[in-house]
Amino acid sequence: MSGDNEIKIIEVRDIPEGVKIICGLPDVGLVGVIAAAHMISKMNLIEAAYVETDLLPPVIILENGMPKSPIRIFEGGGIAVINSEVAIPSDAIYPLMRSIVEWAWRKKAERVFTLSGLPVPNRHELEKIKVFGAASNGDMLKVLKDNEVEIIERGFLVGPQALILKYCVEKNISAIALLAESFYNYPDPEASSVVIQTLNRMLNINVDVSELVGKGEEVRLTMRDMMRRTQAELARMRKSQEYDIPGFYIK
Amino acid sequence: MSARRRRSIFDLVREYVEEIESLADEIVERFMEKPSWDVASQTLEPLCDVYVSRDNVIVTADLPKADPESIRISSIRDDLIEITAKMKVKVRFEDLGVTHRRGEFTCFCCRVQLPVPVDISKAKAKFVKGILEITLPRKKGYEIKIE
Repeated sequence: MSGDNEIKIIEVRDIPEGVKIICGLPDVGLVGVIAAAHMISKMNLIEAAYVETDLLPPVIILENGMPKSPIRIFEGGGIAVINSEVAIPSDAIYPLMRSIVEWAWRKKAERVFTLSGLPVPNRHELEKIKVFGAASNGDMLKVLKDNEVEIIERGFLVGPQALILKYCVEKNISAIALLAESFYNYPDPEASSVVIQTLNRMLNINVDVSELVGKGEEVRLTMRDMMRRTQAELARMRKSQEYDIPGFYIK
Repeated sequence: MSARRRRSIFDLVREYVEEIESLADEIVERFMEKPSWDVASQTLEPLCDVYVSRDNVIVTADLPKADPESIRISSIRDDLIEITAKMKVKVRFEDLGVTHRRGEFTCFCCRVQLPVPVDISKAKAKFVKGILEITLPRKKGYEIKIE
């Protein structure tokens, strides 16, 4: 059991060093969560670790009648995917992200990816969804450019991916944030599929997204309640600041 | 005698903002602590959003699996609209991955509070990719002329 404010990442099977870590945590459009869940399923990743903390609400996920942590890590073929099945309270974001990056550092992670959405007001009118990126160092920015991902040159990031990038810089871990244009308040499986396709190119993997796109309506129905609870946390963490125009800047 | 520090206007504004934030949190908590479904009426509550622009109030609702022909938007009060839609297929709890509850859903229903006065008779709506978008023109107030 973890004590007050303590976060433990408990491995239930060996996760190799040098692993590539993909974070899919609740944020706008649940883009990261949906993408991570799809990758876990399609890549047949196996549960390898879970997060133990008193900072989350007293909630468990029942799977085959047995309790599981709502934040778990699934691994296979040198790729570890972190997924949350509950909205993360805004108060827990700082310590949780710090612990995840600390764990990535201990695992000598080759690279950390964080997947999310970039809210756009006219999302339902977009025919083609664009993916934007940010990175923790120059080499990773080059990776983004080589993969034709447009870099967010200047602007605000708020939420899990913001802190993952920040802490990865402090720990000198190569990290990339991939953000697909998405709905703010509605689950967006189409945006998740575009993020996965970008990852496919970057990691030289081949995760099929046709089922995710085809079952988009089912996914949106299933994710309604998680989106509702995530909305409340997004408001508490002042997510709308991402719409703000940064202050005057002299080059 | 202890000297009472006079509160500045900034202290008052901060306290006011904190009070509003705590009230907003309370409303959100109360709204969250009820299910988003009702088995008796076979209804799911859709996710909705309201945006106020200079000229319009834009209400959107996520209606996956809704039959576009069945969508109805009605005015309950000047500042309250109701959105209903039948689903193309029945959805059971089992279809949503829940096996310990019984019931099925055939429609969406929600009521949306409008934050500013609108002219509902001039509202327009469209349904794209499962998202309903209702544009309600804002009522015009009296314009003050600059001398």
